[in-house]
Amino acid sequence: MKNGFIFFFGLFFVLALSWAGLVLGTNAQLGDLAPFYDDMEGKAFPERAPGIASRGQLVYQELGCAACHTQQVRRPDFGSDKARGWGERQSVARDYVHQKFPQLGQMRIGPDLADFGTRAARNGVSESALLADLYNGKNGMPGYRFLFEQRKLTGESSAKALSGGARAGYQLVPTPKAEALVAYLLSLKQTYEFAEARPYEPVAEAKGAH
Amino acid sequence: MTTVSPNQASAEAGGIDASARCPLGLLTAFALLWLVAGGVLAMLNLLQLQSPGLLADCSWFTYGRLQALQETILMYGWAVNAGLAAATWLLVRLSGENLRGANYLMAGTVFWNLAIVLGLTGIATGYATSHPLLQMPGYVQPVMLFAYAVMAVPGILAWTGRRKAQTYATQWYAVAALVLLPWFFSVAQVMLTFLPVRGTLQAVVATWYAQNFFSLWLAPIALAAVYYLLPKITGRVLHNYDFAIYGFWALLVFGPWMGGRQLIGGPVPAWIATVAIASSVLVLFHHFIVVVNVRDIFRLTGSTALFFVTVGIAAYLLGGLVDAVFATRALAMVTQFTYFQQAQQQLALGAFSMIIFGTIYYMGPRLAGAAWPSIALIRAHFLAVLIGFVLLVVSLGMAGWVQGRDLNNAAVTFATMSAHTRPWLQLAAAAHGVALIGNLLLTVHFFRLFFTRPAPVAFGQSAALEGSAS
Amino acid sequence: MSTPSPVDPRQEKSAIADENLCAVHDQPNAGKSGAAGHYHLLPLALLFVFSGLIFYAGSYLNRYSGHFSGRVFDERQLPVSGAAVAAKMDPLVLGKKQYALACVTCHMPNGLGLPGVYPPLAGSEWVLGSEERLVNIVLHGLKGPITVKGNVYGTAAMPAFGQVPGSGYNWNDEKIAAVLTYIRHEWGNAGAPIATEKVTELRTKAGSRKEWSEAELLALP
Repeated sequence: MKNGFIFFFGLFFVLALSWAGLVLGTNAQLGDLAPFYDDMEGKAFPERAPGIASRGQLVYQELGCAACHTQQVRRPDFGSDKARGWGERQSVARDYVHQKFPQLGQMRIGPDLADFGTRAARNGVSESALLADLYNGKNGMPGYRFLFEQRKLTGESSAKALSGGARAGYQLVPTPKAEALVAYLLSLKQTYEFAEARPYEPVAEAKGAH
Repeated sequence: MTTVSPNQASAEAGGIDASARCPLGLLTAFALLWLVAGGVLAMLNLLQLQSPGLLADCSWFTYGRLQALQETILMYGWAVNAGLAAATWLLVRLSGENLRGANYLMAGTVFWNLAIVLGLTGIATGYATSHPLLQMPGYVQPVMLFAYAVMAVPGILAWTGRRKAQTYATQWYAVAALVLLPWFFSVAQVMLTFLPVRGTLQAVVATWYAQNFFSLWLAPIALAAVYYLLPKITGRVLHNYDFAIYGFWALLVFGPWMGGRQLIGGPVPAWIATVAIASSVLVLFHHFIVVVNVRDIFRLTGSTALFFVTVGIAAYLLGGLVDAVFATRALAMVTQFTYFQQAQQQLALGAFSMIIFGTIYYMGPRLAGAAWPSIALIRAHFLAVLIGFVLLVVSLGMAGWVQGRDLNNAAVTFATMSAHTRPWLQLAAAAHGVALIGNLLLTVHFFRLFFTRPAPVAFGQSAALEGSAS
Repeated sequence: MSTPSPVDPRQEKSAIADENLCAVHDQPNAGKSGAAGHYHLLPLALLFVFSGLIFYAGSYLNRYSGHFSGRVFDERQLPVSGAAVAAKMDPLVLGKKQYALACVTCHMPNGLGLPGVYPPLAGSEWVLGSEERLVNIVLHGLKGPITVKGNVYGTAAMPAFGQVPGSGYNWNDEKIAAVLTYIRHEWGNAGAPIATEKVTELRTKAGSRKEWSEAELLALP
């Protein structure tokens, strides 16, 4: 290894190789991924979330929620994601095309949130219930009280005010951050059956069945 | 090329070390301070898992933010500062010339550490990026890149201006780390922060970056130190050194592809995980060659610095094996998204740290021109970090395994799961505490070494070189 | 091998100068054990280890690469084209949806229409009779008086729904077939389902044209 030029070239080449293969290769495959227009439904999927949700994503990001929650459902026969009701199918890249900063996460100290909005709608979890959970904490999750403020009560109390927890003469209202965060969580939906998200059907078994 | 005078060879590089005293002393001091700070935060972070209310009302230290803070401190504060100090010293030593560009290094060090402080403030006040290992807000990242470029100058100068054309494994590893970090650091910055790529591609870039930090920064620098310290202290030629070059390139070629292990079953094309799993098996070739080269290290010689290095290299080899085995999809199904991954990360970081501790014990007296003040402190540090490190990795690994088994059983609620993992996490927090005490001792010791100067010592050396007739 | 002298951890010894360190390792066969003529197993062993690892990794890649496709998220799957696997919706479900989208405003949820204005679909001879007439009405629309179940509906004007010139709806053939299958099945009607292929065939046959009148329709089989 006496030739410095070849050594440096080799160093850059090996890193460039992995970069080109992994990053550029995936970019070529996913970079121009578009929402899927379903002719039957007459609209494109995934559906766009409201603007407040993308602000909520930034709150989720900077609070470090991803340290405890993932947003990626694994396929039904890989772990218990489906059995826990986190999603009917595997998450695929197309689910995230509208998200500026997808929060896939790497740790499950709490439940997966990829399909949280669907779950909330099914269980009838309202926005105010979620705000209350965010304030009080739930199932080992600490409360995020600094996302709420005590506001002096003048006239009628705000529609968003939480019941209880307020000092006398004050009302407890969520800050815009808390509202954006909750709107974001409720917007998380991965329900549409994309072709690439179909569960795997072993070829051999299919042949045997016919 | 200048000729070697016999005096210089036997003077044990006194002049060279003197030229490196200030910049590398400063770098190491920063590294040790960050190590202690990171240890405190890491312990608090683990305690938060046991009592979620801890610091919960303080917006700066939510669990997620605190985790980002401690990770950033340990990786950029401790590992980069200490790694640069070690790499620069090794390169300067092997170049046979005095350190050049000391002012660059000093200025860069100041800026780098200022940038870390700014970055940490950013994370705490709500500008974290939530990409693992790259949590710091966009506005400090270019500063860090610039500071790093300045800091790396003396190391590169020592490489290009070396006295002899021949090179040694330590130099390859150290130069590779110095040169490659800014490259993947800047690419990740651009693709994640400044012109973020679309959708889940961000996760691919982030895991590529994180893996590179381990495979192309921590590992090469630790190995550079091992390849230097072992023959240097024992005086024995490494076994089958001819093959070291293959081990070097095997790490560089296969290492960067391993990042996709984190994305098994995730919303990225399946081949990314498949390639990563195959690479983490192929990289074992590198580990195999390292074992062949440095196997003498396991015949303990009584050198304390080498004890550290022995533990470190054992952890490094174990880490490679664990990475390969637990990358397989059947096992990843259990360990994915659990503390087990933190255990793997701590194993890799701990291996690096142990080897760097050994380097600091060897390098410190030479830089300071004085012997370490206390044997007891050295032994206490060794004992504390050894116990802390082993306990931490084992307890996090067990916590992760328990958590993974529980996660895969839909009948187990999160409350039950946290009850199951609690004892292991308590043990892990205690382990952090023990290691923290050890690191505090080292820091105090290091400052005593530099600021209370005992009589200078001469570093004699045995002129004869033992062959390795084994 | 000599046993090392007692080591002082406060200042580790240096057993070899840096320059010697480089020099001894830079020689060919540095660190090789054994006397001359000794057969070296290590290169062979390394070759075996590397081949073994390559073989395992190669087989794994080959088995689980999913042909390196960007559309394969389950490593056991092989890439399939999106069109081939697009789900078929139950025509009755789709038809009901389409009916609720447009038809319901005139023909009413109960399929009875509005007496004197919009003709009924329930029990209508037009719905249950000739497939060709029915499909053509929905494809291109209908103008002018028409007699349904003995009542004359003079003002009824139905727009075109198919993918034909002048259509405001541009429903594809599958949707047309689905909604017709639905109305032939609902409200006690018991007509045979209409196939998408039939709609396609009739649409191509009729080409570009205006709304049908009753007389033109009656001329059809």
